[in-house]
Amino acid sequence: MASISLRSLVRPSLPVAPRIQPIIAAFSTTSLVSAAAPPAIKSRKDLPKKTKKTYKKKQNIVPVKKPGPGERKAFRKRIQLSNNSALPVAGLDKLEAQTMARAESGGRMFAVPDEVVDRLRALEAFKSTQTWNLFRKPHVLVRKETVELMSRLEASVEKKEAFKCVLTGSRLSGKSLMLLQAMSYALLNEWVVIHIPEGQDLTNGNTEYSPVPDTEPMQFTQPVYCLKLLQNIYKANKAVLEKTPLKQDWTRLSATLKPGSTLADLALSAKESEFAWPTLSALWTELTLPGQPPVLFALDGLAHINKVSAYRDPAFNPVHAHELLLVRTFVDALSGKTKLPNGGAVIAATSENNTHKHPSQELALSQLEAGQAGKPVPQPDPYERKYDDRVYDALKNSTVMRLEGVSKDEARVLMEYWGASGMLRSVLDSRVVAEKWALGGHGIVGEMERASLMTMRV
Amino acid sequence: MAKYSIHNLAKIGSLTPKTVTSLTAELSQMSIESDARRQVQENIRRLKDIGSYRGRRHAMGLPVRGQRTRTQTATANKLNRVDRRA
Repeated sequence: MASISLRSLVRPSLPVAPRIQPIIAAFSTTSLVSAAAPPAIKSRKDLPKKTKKTYKKKQNIVPVKKPGPGERKAFRKRIQLSNNSALPVAGLDKLEAQTMARAESGGRMFAVPDEVVDRLRALEAFKSTQTWNLFRKPHVLVRKETVELMSRLEASVEKKEAFKCVLTGSRLSGKSLMLLQAMSYALLNEWVVIHIPEGQDLTNGNTEYSPVPDTEPMQFTQPVYCLKLLQNIYKANKAVLEKTPLKQDWTRLSATLKPGSTLADLALSAKESEFAWPTLSALWTELTLPGQPPVLFALDGLAHINKVSAYRDPAFNPVHAHELLLVRTFVDALSGKTKLPNGGAVIAATSENNTHKHPSQELALSQLEAGQAGKPVPQPDPYERKYDDRVYDALKNSTVMRLEGVSKDEARVLMEYWGASGMLRSVLDSRVVAEKWALGGHGIVGEMERASLMTMRV
Repeated sequence: MAKYSIHNLAKIGSLTPKTVTSLTAELSQMSIESDARRQVQENIRRLKDIGSYRGRRHAMGLPVRGQRTRTQTATANKLNRVDRRA
């Protein structure tokens, strides 16, 4: 019995038929020969490459329209001069021709007239770092220094002599804004205004340059920049240029220039960058002849045009910025080498945001300032090698005007304007004014703006 | 670039025709592209023709300047040819 039950557990042995014939037909009926031969391995390059396995999840890539080339920069650099959310401020006078030169306008806000705004925009006088975008319309505070500068400008026309000035001062103290005010004064008084918005653009090697033949040391023109500058000059000063006839014969520059042509025709005669510098230089020559309108030549970022530029001459020697002819024109005007017989001004502003250490310029400015104040003149540091005599020569005949904080009264007027625009939420009393004035480094306007307008804390 | 007063951010399109002409003239005097390649190939062929060690190493696709060959000879394998392309 037991043996039977054990047997039942044994796996039943299936009869397996012995394979008599091998299976010839494979699954595929194609013969091996007709299959494509694998590529012959001739070198190591042909060996199959190991592919790396990645365990990263595939990202969900959503197509996004990226901004086009230059779009981001244009957005960053845009100038916005109005803000519809800000309240319009009523009761402020518009700037008129002599407003800023009068002592009684000191410490008051004025609206910049619309036509002047357009022309200032053409001159690139507004900077993207300034807070124009917070207010309904551009207004400016006429401060004590403004009145001083403008009365100097007024006097220059009477004396028929150029007023040469360097604006300097702490960061955010309003040097560029003072330039803007000088330009609006000039535009309102029918001067011709030439403005180089950023000295750096001329010397950082980012615009085209071409050597002037037969000059020693070699000088350079900047054709593309000059063409743009000419167009800006024309746009901003159209009315004045159109009623000023040419005094010299410039038919060699362009056949369209007849003896009775105006300065506007001259400015427009340059259609290609090749002729921009000769035309600009002709325009400048015309403007420096007696009987033409006064000129304001302004430049921001002085330190950049007083250094060795990023350009190289054909022998690969560095080019000093003063060998660039546009810069040289400005420097000659600033140093008094070029006279302005109709009066006018040459104003350079230093920049504290965008600058580099410049011992010679600092020394020259501090010496001039000490000389003006009747203080002992600072001596050059004997251990400093990098003094540049050309910088001293360029600056030695100019007046240094230092801008620092505004007075508390001026700060109050400015903050009242902010309050009237709805930009300052707190109640304006003398305590708040004093607080912001102190927070802004004793009335540095830009710092006060940062402390009161550009903060989330109310 | 300074020789022809070409600034840092210049594009080919912004060059004046005169500059382009002078650049072309300058480049035509240099051996570049296929000329330079042919020169290199000729040098290697000369080495091989005179039966030098360097020539032989080139022909075998092995390092020429005494490097070890136990590992890491991919560059030699790629570059050291008699008819060198790259």
